Amino acid sequence: MTPKNSGHAASMVRLLSVLSMLTVLAGCGGGGGGGAGTTPPVSNPTPSITSLSPASAPVGAAAQTLTITGTGFISSSTVTFNGTAQTATYVSSTQLTIQLTASDQATAGSFGVVVTNPSPGGGASNSVDFKVGGVNNTISLGVNLGPTNDYVNGLFASVEVCEPGSTTNCATVPDVLVDTGSTGLRLLSGAVSGITLPPVTDSSGNDVQECIQFISMAYIWGPVVQADIHLAGESASAASIHIISESPQYPAPASCVPTSSAQDFNSLSALGANGILGVANFAQDCGSGCAAASNGYPYYFSCPNGNCQITSVPTTSTNGQVWNPVALFPQDNNGVLIALPSVAAGGAPTASGSLIFGIGTETNNALGTAQAYAVTDQAYFTTTYSGTQYSGSFVDSGSNAYYFLDSATLGNLDCADNTGWYCPNSPLSFTVTNTGTNGTTGSVTFSIENADSLFNTGYAAFNDLGGDSGTSTATDYFDFGVPFFFGRNVFVGIGGQTVTGVSNAPYGFWAF
Amino acid sequence: MKTISGVLLILTLGTAPAWAVLGEYESSVSLDQKYMRGEDLVITAQGYRLHQITSPNGAVVTEFVSPEGKVFGVSWRAAFMPNMDQLLGSYITPVQQAAQAQTRRRGGPFIVRTNDFVFVSGGHMRAFHGSAYVPSLLPKSVSAEVVR
Repeated sequence: MTPKNSGHAASMVRLLSVLSMLTVLAGCGGGGGGGAGTTPPVSNPTPSITSLSPASAPVGAAAQTLTITGTGFISSSTVTFNGTAQTATYVSSTQLTIQLTASDQATAGSFGVVVTNPSPGGGASNSVDFKVGGVNNTISLGVNLGPTNDYVNGLFASVEVCEPGSTTNCATVPDVLVDTGSTGLRLLSGAVSGITLPPVTDSSGNDVQECIQFISMAYIWGPVVQADIHLAGESASAASIHIISESPQYPAPASCVPTSSAQDFNSLSALGANGILGVANFAQDCGSGCAAASNGYPYYFSCPNGNCQITSVPTTSTNGQVWNPVALFPQDNNGVLIALPSVAAGGAPTASGSLIFGIGTETNNALGTAQAYAVTDQAYFTTTYSGTQYSGSFVDSGSNAYYFLDSATLGNLDCADNTGWYCPNSPLSFTVTNTGTNGTTGSVTFSIENADSLFNTGYAAFNDLGGDSGTSTATDYFDFGVPFFFGRNVFVGIGGQTVTGVSNAPYGFWAF
Repeated sequence: MKTISGVLLILTLGTAPAWAVLGEYESSVSLDQKYMRGEDLVITAQGYRLHQITSPNGAVVTEFVSPEGKVFGVSWRAAFMPNMDQLLGSYITPVQQAAQAQTRRRGGPFIVRTNDFVFVSGGHMRAFHGSAYVPSLLPKSVSAEVVR
C-alpha cells in the first residue's frame, strides 16, 4: 500500500502500530525501571473489518485460507469464527488470515468473523458474515398437460442454456420433462435454434452424435454439444448436452434403433416436451461402457462421410459424455430433492412443486426424517409385496404412474377404455416394503383408483394412477412413478458423491 | 456345458436370410450368438432348455427352447436394447403396432399382448430388460414365468 493511497485513518493506524511496538519494546526492556509510571498509557486501536476473501464457500468446501481485510489490526489481534477462537496470522495492520477447516464449511449458514484487540484500548470489531452455501438452488416444477396438452402426470421445468462463456447468447427452454430415470440434459433442436453451441468431438476430431433408446421401442437422435446450463443460481459450465434433432443430418444408425420401424421421438408432438432433464443416480448417461467403442454400446456415434459408427467418448466432463448436470455444479452437486404437494383422490387439474439441488448442503435440502435406500450399480432396489421380492424396483419421475404387477395377478383390473391401466371398481390400497442395498427397510402404502374415471376429468395430476408392468408375477419390479412423489420429499443421491449421514451407497440412493 | 455348433452356424449364415428366433427352430439361436459375439451357455431345465448368450460387454440374451426344438421365449438384460427384429422375427409386427397405439402411458414399461404373444420391455437408461413368449409354444407343464 502506498502512502498516497492510505487514508488518514490508515496512517493513524500505522502510527498506533509503531507506538504499540514501542510499548512492547518498553515492556521487554523495562526491567522494573521507574519510567513506567510516568509513560502515558498507549491505547490499542479498535479493529474494523471491511471485507472477507473469499466471502463465501459452497457447503463441503475444502480447507482454505480466509483473508480478513480492515483496519487497526495488530500482531496480538485475535479472531473468532462463529464465536470460536481461531489462530490468526498477522500480515499487516490491514490484513489478517485464518485457516478454515473443512468442518468449518460443512454446514450451510452465515458465520460471523470478529477481530479483537487486547487492552489497553482495543476491543472487538464489527462482525462480518462468512456465508457457507446460500446459492439459490431451487427451480419450480409444474405438473400439467404439457406443451402437447395431453401429458398426464408430466413433471415440467424450465431450463436455461447458454453458449459456453456467454451470458447473453442464451435460450430459456420451458416444458422440459424432469426425469429421475435418465441422466443428462436433452433438448429439441428447435428449442435452442437461436444460439450456436459448439460440438463435442471424439479423438479423431469428428462431431459426436448420440442415440438414446426408450423402452417403448422409440429413440431420440442428434448431436452432442457444449453449453453452459443454468438452473436457478446453479451452473454447469461447458457441459455436454444432447440435441434431439428435429431434422437430423444423418439417419439414426441401425445398431441403436430397437427395430427397423421404430418411432423416433425427435419432435415435440412425439416427446410431449421440449426436452428431458435427467437427474438419475448416475453421473454420466452411459459410463465406462461407452469409453471404448469396442464394447459396442450403441450410445455415441461419429459419422465421417455420413457413415455412422460407434465411437469412444470418455466419461470426463469436458468434451466427454453427457452428464447429470447436477454432478457438474461447483456446489449442491450430490443429488436433488423433488418436493411435490399432496394430490387428493380424484386428482387435481395441475400441481406445482420444487426441484431443489443438493442434499444436506443448504438449509432447504436436509434429509430430515427421510430414509436412504442405497441402490445397485443399475440403480435398483428391492420391493417386497405379498411375500415376493421384486429386485429391480426404482423411483422414476419420468414414469407417469405406479407400474407394477399385472391385471391378471391382481384379479382383472383391466380398464374398459384405456389399455394397460388399472380400473378397480373402488380404490385399492397396496402396502409394500422397500429394501436398499444398505439394509434400510421401510414400507410404502399407496392407492389405485379407476383410471378411466380419472382420465375423464381431463386433469393432469393424479395421485392414485396405476398400470400394468408385465406378463405375470415373473415381472421383477415396481416402478414408483410420479404419483409416488406427491406429498413426499424424494431425494435422488448421485453415486460417487458424499452425502452427510448416508453411508454404504456407492451407486447412490433414494431417500424418502 | 458350453456348446458352439460351428458347422450349423456356417450353414445357417450361408442359406438363411432371416434372423428370426422367437417361434423358430433352435438352430436360429446360433445366429444370435454370432451377432452378439457371445458365449452360449446351454442349460437343461425341467421340460425345456435355454441358451444364455453373454456378450463381452455384459449384454445377456436368453432363448428358451421346447423339447420339440422351437424357441418359445426370449429375454434380455443389457445397458442397451438388443436388436428386436432379430430376436422376435415375425413377432416384431404386433410390437410395432402397439408402439404406435400407446395411450397416456409415458416412461413406464412397454407391454404388448395379443392372442398368442406377450411382450414386456422395462427398466431404465443403462439397465434395460424384457422378455417375450408365445403361449401356444410353451411346453406342457412349463409356466410362462420361466421366461425372464
